[in-house]
Parts: sequence; structure tokens; C-alpha cells
Amino acid sequence: MALNALERFLLTLTLYNLLATAAISVYGIVARPSLVKKVISLTILGDALNVLAIFIGFRLFSIPPVLTPEVELSYFVGSAVDPLPQALVLTAIVIGLAVNLFLIFLALQVYRLYGTLDTRRIRELRG
Amino acid sequence: MLISIVASVALLAYATSLAGALGYLGLETRALAKMFLTLAYNPGLRELTAMAPEAVTAIVWDFRGVDTLYETVVFYMAIIAALAIYRGVPKVGGGGGTGLSLIVRVVTKLLIPMNIAVALSIAVHGHLTPGGGFQAGAALAVISVLLAVVYSFSSYGRVGIDIPKAVTLRSVGLVAIALVVFTPLIYSLVTGAQAYLMQNYVKVDSGFSFPAEVFGQLISGTLIWLNVAEFLAVSFGFCIIFMLLSLREEVIRPALVGEEHGP
Repeated sequence: MALNALERFLLTLTLYNLLATAAISVYGIVARPSLVKKVISLTILGDALNVLAIFIGFRLFSIPPVLTPEVELSYFVGSAVDPLPQALVLTAIVIGLAVNLFLIFLALQVYRLYGTLDTRRIRELRG
Repeated sequence: MLISIVASVALLAYATSLAGALGYLGLETRALAKMFLTLAYNPGLRELTAMAPEAVTAIVWDFRGVDTLYETVVFYMAIIAALAIYRGVPKVGGGGGTGLSLIVRVVTKLLIPMNIAVALSIAVHGHLTPGGGFQAGAALAVISVLLAVVYSFSSYGRVGIDIPKAVTLRSVGLVAIALVVFTPLIYSLVTGAQAYLMQNYVKVDSGFSFPAEVFGQLISGTLIWLNVAEFLAVSFGFCIIFMLLSLREEVIRPALVGEEHGP
């Protein structure tokens, strides 16, 4: 089964779109001075890379990787999507969530102690 | 700036798709995926299968079980870090808030039992349908946000949950996961037979096996127990986080700012 030109273009566009989103979020992490915006950019980066992993495991004209009684095993193996990226992304989501929780509590504590979330001003503080 | 980014991405995509540089993307299954799909539920290969029709759960808790175990540890340590930041906060109760209007409160009261039912269903069907312990825990933790927003923070005291209780219930979930993981070790120590940590079914050189079916119902050995234990751990872990975040700022600030910066 071959793809026509439009399908190929849309698949490729999705891939580059995800990479561009990841690149923009890296810019947000590096260049924005606010800690809250850094954390938001980090979540966007994590989500873009998770969708990228799902996209690599995805295939067109497929069924979910759940075996139901009315489906034959040979048909299931031949037409289900790759379950491994989905399992890895499930793990990555939980770990990303734990990291985000930790960073949010740290940012909250920085705000309580210094009264600002601007990294340029936090850098100038002494003590 | 924005238009140039969009245009360059679209142009790059068009050029790459013309060249066919991405090969088989979107059409074929990898050999590794075929192996997992074949072994997820396959009663004919009892030494290899995970006996779970849901291939993702089979990978998460059986084929790559240790991975998920350490993921649970990472989540556990993030909550420990949050609790450590809030260590000096005095026990606060009451507050006397009344919450939102009567309509919102009654609708929420009707929604909460449905929420619990959905979360339990996701947890105990994790090995049969998409879902599992973590998703169910996230679904149940919605209730703790609803309580804080709709009924005010004082409602935690009225339903009888506070942070120490939530920590205890979460530890019960984590201990249950550890028990399931170490059951083969206990079996091996008692009987002297060969068994592996996190083992689910019989292996070529080990006779130890969790029951795959109970009274004709497929429970997929360790998978249902791990899902339910993870459900408990994650739901009360989230509950702790939301309770900490909904504490009143003027109550906790003196404890958090510390001696160095004055009260």
C-alpha cells in the first residue's frame, strides 16, 4: 500500500511541525527571563517530544493495540499500532509531571523568598 | 518572523516528502512491535506471554516492569520534595470558607460518586481496556481539586482527610506494589525453588506463577494488583500536592520564609 503525494506531505508536515514546536519551546526555556514561562516552555517541549514518539510508532489504516475477542491474532499483529512508544510515553508523562511538580514548588518557594520570578533580578540578589 | 517560520517548515516538509526521505514512516510495523503484539495475550505460549489483551499495560507492568517501578519512585520523590519544602507549616484547619453557590455545590455532590466509579473502573480494567493505575489515580485526584474549589479548603476536614492521612494511604499503595514485586522472593525463600523478582507467570526454569484467571475472569496475574496499588499511590500523591497548593498563603508564609529572612 503506497501513500499518495498529499498524504506523504501531511505526514512530513506533522513531523516538522513537532520539531519546530520543540525548537520554539527550547527558545522559551533559554531566552525568557521569567521562571514561570521557563516551566511552561518545558511542559510544551515535553509534550512535543511525547507526541513525536507517538507519531514515530503510529501507522496509517491501523487499529489500537488492544486485543478483543472478535479479532484474530494474525490480523491484530499485522494491523495494530506499535505499543512500545505508547508505553514509553506513558512513563515519560509521569516523570515529566514529577519534574514539573518539583519545579513549580521550587518556583513558588523562590517567589516567597525573593519576591520575584525574574532570573535577571534573582541573579543580582546577594545572600 | 512567525510567517517565515511557518513557510520554511511547510517548504521543508514538501521538499522532504517529494524526495521520499522518510521511507516507510506510517506504513509498516517494526519487528519489536510484532513481538510485543504477539506476546501480549497468547495462552499458547505460557512461558512468554503477559496474558493481557491490552498491549500497552502488558509492556508497562510486565515486559518493562522495572521501568515503571522506577517511574513510580521518581513521582514518589517529587512528592517527598514538596513535603520537605512545606515541613514547618503548622497544621491548619477550618478557615470557615463557604465555597461556591448552592447550584455548583449540589451538582458537584452528584458528580463525585460518578467520578469515583469511573476511576475505579479505569483502575480494575487496566489490563483489558486502555487505562491503568496512573490514569485512574489522575481521574480520582480531580475530586480533591473539586473539594478545594467548590467547597473551600475547610471541606477537607469535613470529609475526614488531611495531609498525614493522605501520606499514609499513599504509602499503603507503595507497600502493596513492593509486596507484589517481592512475592516471588518470599516464595523462593520458603520453598527453595527458583523465582525472579517481578515475575508474573511460569518461566522455562521457574514454576512460580500468579493466577492469570480467577473464577473465569481474566485478571492477568500481577497486572491488576499493580494497577490497583498504583491507583492508590498516585491518587493520594496528587491529593497531597493539591492540598499543599491550596493552603492559605498568609498561614504558611511565616513557616516557609524561615528564620534568616525574619517573620
